[in-house]
Amino acid sequence: MEDSMRPPGMRDMLPDDMERFRIIESAFRNACLGWGYREVRTPTIERLHLFTAAGTLSPQMLDRVYSFLDWDGWSGERVVLRPDSTIPVARLYVEKLKDVRVAKLFYVQSVLRFAQGDDSREDWQCGAELIGDTYPLGDLELILIACEVLQRLGFAPEIKLSDPGILRAVLSKAGYQQVEQLSLYDRLLDGDSNALTEVQERLPRGAVAGLEMLSMEGDGSAFLKNLRSVLEPGIPEVSSAVDELTTIADVLTGIGHSPRIAPALVRNFEYYTGPVFHVFAGGTKIAGGGRYDALISQVGQQSIPASGFALEMEPLASLLSGAESAARPQVAIRPSGKNGADIGAVFALARALREAGVNVQLVGLTNGPGREIVASADGFSLASGDGKVRRLTRVDEVVRAVADAGHD
Amino acid sequence: MIKLALPAGDLRGAIAQLLDSAGLEIEGYGEGSRAYRLPGRSRDVLTARVFREKDISIQIALGNYDLGICSIAWVKEMHARFPGQPIVPLSDLGVAQATLWAAGAPGHCDRLEDLSRLGLVRIASEYANIAEAFARSARLARYRVQPVGGAAEAYPPEDADCVIVAAAGGNQLREAGAQPLFKLFDSSAWLVANATALKTKNLSSVTGPLKSSATSTAAGNGFRLPGPLPRNAAERMPMSRDTLRLAVPDGHQQRHVVEALRAADLAFDGYGDGQSIRRPRSGVDRLDVKVIRPHDMPALVATGEVDLAITGRDCLLEHRYAFPSSPATELLDLQRGQYNLSAVVSEDLPATTIDEVLELWRGEGKPILRVAAEFPATADHYARSRHFWRYHVIPIAGASEGFVPEDADMLIEGTETGKTIAENRLKAIDLLYRSTTCLIGHRAPNLSEKRRRVYDHLLSALQPS
Repeated sequence: MEDSMRPPGMRDMLPDDMERFRIIESAFRNACLGWGYREVRTPTIERLHLFTAAGTLSPQMLDRVYSFLDWDGWSGERVVLRPDSTIPVARLYVEKLKDVRVAKLFYVQSVLRFAQGDDSREDWQCGAELIGDTYPLGDLELILIACEVLQRLGFAPEIKLSDPGILRAVLSKAGYQQVEQLSLYDRLLDGDSNALTEVQERLPRGAVAGLEMLSMEGDGSAFLKNLRSVLEPGIPEVSSAVDELTTIADVLTGIGHSPRIAPALVRNFEYYTGPVFHVFAGGTKIAGGGRYDALISQVGQQSIPASGFALEMEPLASLLSGAESAARPQVAIRPSGKNGADIGAVFALARALREAGVNVQLVGLTNGPGREIVASADGFSLASGDGKVRRLTRVDEVVRAVADAGHD
Repeated sequence: MIKLALPAGDLRGAIAQLLDSAGLEIEGYGEGSRAYRLPGRSRDVLTARVFREKDISIQIALGNYDLGICSIAWVKEMHARFPGQPIVPLSDLGVAQATLWAAGAPGHCDRLEDLSRLGLVRIASEYANIAEAFARSARLARYRVQPVGGAAEAYPPEDADCVIVAAAGGNQLREAGAQPLFKLFDSSAWLVANATALKTKNLSSVTGPLKSSATSTAAGNGFRLPGPLPRNAAERMPMSRDTLRLAVPDGHQQRHVVEALRAADLAFDGYGDGQSIRRPRSGVDRLDVKVIRPHDMPALVATGEVDLAITGRDCLLEHRYAFPSSPATELLDLQRGQYNLSAVVSEDLPATTIDEVLELWRGEGKPILRVAAEFPATADHYARSRHFWRYHVIPIAGASEGFVPEDADMLIEGTETGKTIAENRLKAIDLLYRSTTCLIGHRAPNLSEKRRRVYDHLLSALQPS
């Protein structure tokens, strides 16, 4: 790696990688279009203050952005390589689409953040943002889009739901300030059992019981009912978050999903203001998102609720087997000789086959299943799978023969 | 052989004494010494070289030196931006104690929370990476960091809302006209090591004696950053003024500028031969004068904080190479303080031009060219325009002559007579440009009639005869 001309953390995408990439992109685009979303793309370079002003990226995340002084940055204000797509989409909405009552937008683009060693520093994401007052239909719609993408790719999606409002209520009750809440939340996510003990020690006597449930996971409505019965008497502030989650979980259960509930789930504790979700395939987390009602007002001073999700393409691509990306059948054509007439016959046939929608290969190795045709000024020799060779004289005869073979 | 990097400047006396008491006397290193490359007493085990203090952490991180002594603030400055750099603080030597503060201007920013009222927070600091970390941690909605070469405490309120500066205490800051807002950490001189050298090389003949004379503090302790400031509605406070602002330099350019001012019949009280206060009195109606580092002037002109500045063409071109569309421009060549900025290599190289040198290095298969420069954007531009292959620009703060050949292959260096580089067994192989002292200003200044009159008066008076 040290000697490579490629910078650390940057990935080349080889043909197989690109095939998988396009398969995922296509499944995602079709799902979004099917639910009425429209595609956007935001610039690679944005102003740093867009992200600092939004207040939704933690200082630790901002420490990892690629920021620099542009060629006209003499004032000292920096620009960044896009470290996140939701905030640029929020900016795009505020600047270009703010008269749209409900904006349903999706994107396929990369985000760039520093990582140690050769860990990936550029991650491709498929994301959808729903800006407007849509709770709870919009939240459910986003979860179902994420699930549909996985289903289109042949996976059975598993859903986990949470609401940072539950933990926020507990930590507020324990008297923690915002910064302390962030740090404790991260420790809880990291499985630090001392964090829970510290919270318990600061809570009033009646609110201590049952806090262990915060680090558990359980099945949908049943777990939520237990959570409510244990926490609500001592910390009534949890009720609105539990209500929201119950609504989402009940609908998903009713249409055949079996969501799990995890009170501590997402890292971006301060980013989300309502229900959040993760979607898994084969145990691997593929997509995550939720409600972030404060973002639009922080970017554009106009208070509009919003929610969204992003799907990570690399872990999903690693789950796709080679079968999904197998090369399509094609016809290899080579000239009988090197004279102009034979080569001319190759291109006359190639053009006709391409017009008929057949994939052709003239130079290089054949890639995957296909057949070979030798072209000359006098006609064409078609090799079939059983080793027999068939002679045809006209281009249209060859095109018909190839089409017929394709229908076999 | 253990390679030790030692600080130049005011620290030399205290560090020399400390090395002596630890039995590590370095010949020629002490208060007032100007030597840059020094043999250790045990010549076969220790070699030492003197750097500007802020360059030492870079040299240790690069692995050019095994051990170094510098203020821990410079290590934290590097780690604030590049946390993975392999530099390990070993022991607090207990000298050069100071505190790093965030400070504001009294009456403008008296409390940390006042920063969140500003639409755009201007932060000036020698510690630009720490300043960035400070702004991010405070969740300032919008800020810009003005990296300066020194004298940051002189910037508020006109040129900055907040500064990150080292000072002995809050009172010293107040005496300098700055209001302490937040204490980041206590700093002192530390023995630091390259991580790889620590793992692979026996450094104990230096680390042992210095460790035993050290105090016991932890380098990571006490580095505090502020929590998120409350989000207040921005109150943009436009700085309207009816005076013209002129910046004049301190340091080695001051002598040339004082002469130019004298020739123009301009004399500023508090800015003369051998004397300098930060805000000299101009004696000209509606003219404010401030003394700042010449390197920092073009950015202040470009942002409109100052209207005119007297600096070297080298500083202006460095700014323009970094920011080609900057509106800072040369208005007058004062034709003083003349020197050449040249590409300089070891005199041992059998080549006399840059093309020959590149051909020689290409023939040797040299994989990376190391270019040390006080003007990194200029060096970068030069390397690009000369089609260097893979290269590193090593930004340095000074004491540059000793870099070649061990720590750099080439220097981008100012030469007046060529004597100093010859004494250091170096030679110039290419002339980048000839620099003189210049009056610079904004390409399209926005001036009221009254300020325009002062502006025109200065331009006319400073015109060389």
